[in-house]
Amino acid sequence: MRNVGIIGVGYTPVFVSKRKDVNLAEMVSESVEAVFRNTGLSPDDIDAITFGNMQTFEGVNLPHLLMSEHIRAVDKPIIRIATGGTTGMSTLQAAYYYVASGIYDVVLAVSWEKQSEGDSQVGLAGIVMPEAMVMVQHGMDLLGGRGMGGMGGGSTGAAAYQAMSYLHHSGADPEHIDKMAALERSNAALNPYAHLRKKTTVEDVQATPFISWPLRYGHTCPTSDGATACIVASEEKAAKLADKVAWIIGVGCCTSDPSTANFIEGQMTDPADQTVCKIAAKKAYEMAGIEDPAKEIDLAELYDGFAHQSLMWLEKLGLCKEGEAHKLLDRGVLNIDGDLPTNPSGGVFSTNAIGSSAMNRATECALQIMRKIEGEHQVPKTVKKALAHGWGGLFQYVTVMILSDTPRKI
Amino acid sequence: MERKVAVVGYAMTRQASDIGVPRPIMLFELVKGLFDQMGITRDDIDTFVLCSNDFQCGRTISNVFEDTPVGAYMKDETKVEADGVMAVMYGAIRIMSGLYDTALVVGNSLGGSEFRPYLIMDYQLHPAYDRQLGILNEPVTAALQAKAYMEKYKITEDHLNKIAARLLRNAAKNPFALRGKEDATPEYIASSEYLYEPLRELHCYPFTDGACAVVLASDKRAKALTDKPVWIKGFGDSIEGYFLGDRDLSWSRSAKVAADRAYRMAGISNPAKEIDVAEISIKFASQEPIICEALGLFPEGSGAEVADRGLAEIGGEMPVCPSGGGLGAYPFSAMGLIRVAECAKQINGEAGDIQVKDVKTAVAHGQDGFCAQHNAVMVLSSEEG
Amino acid sequence: MAFQMGEETRQVQATWDVTTYNYKVDGRGIKLLADGMKDKKILGIRCHNCGTVYVPGPPFCRKCYIPIDEIAEVKDSGEVVSFAVEMADVRGNPLDEVRVSGMIKLDGSDTFINGRIQVDDWHDVHIGMRVKAVWVPEPQGNLSDIDHFEPI
Ligand SMILES: [Zn+2]
Repeated sequence: MRNVGIIGVGYTPVFVSKRKDVNLAEMVSESVEAVFRNTGLSPDDIDAITFGNMQTFEGVNLPHLLMSEHIRAVDKPIIRIATGGTTGMSTLQAAYYYVASGIYDVVLAVSWEKQSEGDSQVGLAGIVMPEAMVMVQHGMDLLGGRGMGGMGGGSTGAAAYQAMSYLHHSGADPEHIDKMAALERSNAALNPYAHLRKKTTVEDVQATPFISWPLRYGHTCPTSDGATACIVASEEKAAKLADKVAWIIGVGCCTSDPSTANFIEGQMTDPADQTVCKIAAKKAYEMAGIEDPAKEIDLAELYDGFAHQSLMWLEKLGLCKEGEAHKLLDRGVLNIDGDLPTNPSGGVFSTNAIGSSAMNRATECALQIMRKIEGEHQVPKTVKKALAHGWGGLFQYVTVMILSDTPRKI
Repeated sequence: MERKVAVVGYAMTRQASDIGVPRPIMLFELVKGLFDQMGITRDDIDTFVLCSNDFQCGRTISNVFEDTPVGAYMKDETKVEADGVMAVMYGAIRIMSGLYDTALVVGNSLGGSEFRPYLIMDYQLHPAYDRQLGILNEPVTAALQAKAYMEKYKITEDHLNKIAARLLRNAAKNPFALRGKEDATPEYIASSEYLYEPLRELHCYPFTDGACAVVLASDKRAKALTDKPVWIKGFGDSIEGYFLGDRDLSWSRSAKVAADRAYRMAGISNPAKEIDVAEISIKFASQEPIICEALGLFPEGSGAEVADRGLAEIGGEMPVCPSGGGLGAYPFSAMGLIRVAECAKQINGEAGDIQVKDVKTAVAHGQDGFCAQHNAVMVLSSEEG
Repeated sequence: MAFQMGEETRQVQATWDVTTYNYKVDGRGIKLLADGMKDKKILGIRCHNCGTVYVPGPPFCRKCYIPIDEIAEVKDSGEVVSFAVEMADVRGNPLDEVRVSGMIKLDGSDTFINGRIQVDDWHDVHIGMRVKAVWVPEPQGNLSDIDHFEPI
């Protein structure tokens, strides 16, 4: 096993709801060219590529084939990874394994989504389409109007169940979700690569209508177009190629079952239980040699499709005790200048090009550690260790990555 | 290579045009059966690598409903959307990273009964150009590729018929293959209809349901799990450009680059001599010489001679696809995994009627894209070395 | 200087059609459940190894990784594990009437089902609340045979 670090990050110039000026390949190539520009490296320095997106969102199967030239992959090894919302992190973890194994020294990880070119609702419905058909055949009212109906939680899916259960068990109030939403949107306003960039107050959030109580329209993430490219390298290569490195010192991943939002198999897990998250975090902490994450982690970038999730993940990841996250929020601990800045980038909640969303959690941590953040959301405190988190599947899949300013002792 | 990795167990479903059970049941029965046969439980697996594809499954995040059937509940799992050889490679890389000692790699595809393979391939076309024009589809591109090779090296349709007949005869002896014919002759192949000249129906892969599971282990664990580990000695993959007009279709640049990587890692300098059997993924008979030549198994442009002299027969100089390969069955995401498993079978002497004599080293190959745009190559051996 | 997007490219249409698939789905568990409802019974599958009762029943136990087929009947009453109050449709338009959908753990089962909870004032609904099924007058053997749940 050898040490692996992130040596450079490149984003598309913007993450917005519609990039009508570029096609799929052109958009993704922008991120690849950006990472080469930012690192001073060239395609010749790259040994292999890992690549991911959620392909049903654009309707192109195996899009790495289509854009092999645009991402400078010709004559190189390339692997396509896809795990849903976590795709970006799974793709970056693949790059980690590629280098840690000793097979390759410098690997480019690329993840993206161009949601404007497809129908996200079709893409999402596609997760349980066959099962939903069978349920309808057996007389289920899918929209939940009556009977044993509903895919769960009405129009926001099982997220509303999750939010409700989380509030109940944590003791947080619905207003804490508003407050977290306002905090993250205001962080996003400082980040040039965020999609929804508007300084937002709690009152602004509270002015948005409820979709499924306790979730408001202002608690939900946008759909975005954008791409991210990231170069990882072995310790030896990093010393030659980079001035600053964010070391990947812990990786973890866990999956459970698709039952949370799928009626057909018997739902087994309370969506706010998140044992998967705890298992994934435990693995990553063990690998990173972290005993007390609440003390040792300086910054967190969490995958929050809905604003309550940031609070929930903080607890499940052991960054605070269960039921404490909203107290940290109230005390300002989660602010950019707080003790545990949480989603200084604005999170997935503000920018969601799905395939790249989980990778962006890690790249943001890396840039914070390297102090190379473009924009105003660089946290004032020194970041030694940061945690990046991804969430996906049908509520059942969690990835965790710990980044550090110093490599692991091996 | 820091750590060595071996194939320590494998199982495949029968490959069928309709396997008759839903995907989760197929996967559960396959993997549970493999665990029982190996005397292990799902707790013996450190990491799960699934190989499937959202378009093939008609499902966004296809692994969502595959996790529990393969035993990944509350485990580390990831999904590769590419050929099965890529998935085995990624499983091996995960073990080589030192974080895991065992990996289960599972690929599946229901191209026989659930989706239409040519349509799924259409979704790989450029959405704003090729898909709009509607000229290209998979057999058309294959016919272009076939012509490019045949014109350049003066080989005839009769040679393609010989290749296809050999593969169908092999497949007839492979109890897992979907389509075989014991007494297939070139004339029999020639009697099938043209799809796109020069390709006839029996030159093309059959639409197939199937799944395959492979257990990998580090050198540390391998010997505890089997007394016949098959070592992964080398692997490599490579991609080329998308537009067919930019490529010389008479050979496969990416297969050559991939093979070079795999051979370098495996320490193979003369593949034609050192490799005892090849299991390659071809979708059309015309791809066999192109891929074999890129893999250095036969000299460039030797397609006619190889077919005429029967060099690729089970008893020939360089047996290619004793299983019947892609003409016997082509279950997309499981295809490359089955090639790896067939290599392991050959090395372990478990191949029954399709056994090649004295196999020490075997090569498995997988492909993605039109005219095999992306190729993956893996070298397996009985020797740990 | 802020990034300026270029000119719009041409837009073309193409489809990804999920109706071109012939999906096979294991519907045994859901059929068992639906069929039983004709007699106002709620049927699931118990794992003979760990005792977990799944409603609807899957073909194998996720935890034990063994095939399971032991039919288990559970009660039509249970506890609210979580709930949501739907106030708008997917497009964000307010609904005429809010409705409460619950995640309910039926007595005797280890899993949850979803169902509508009928109450006069949704503020009365809370996690841990006991509810029971209200059946339609003439059950047909399908999942709409329970019209809704109401507080006990
Ligand atoms: Zn059990």
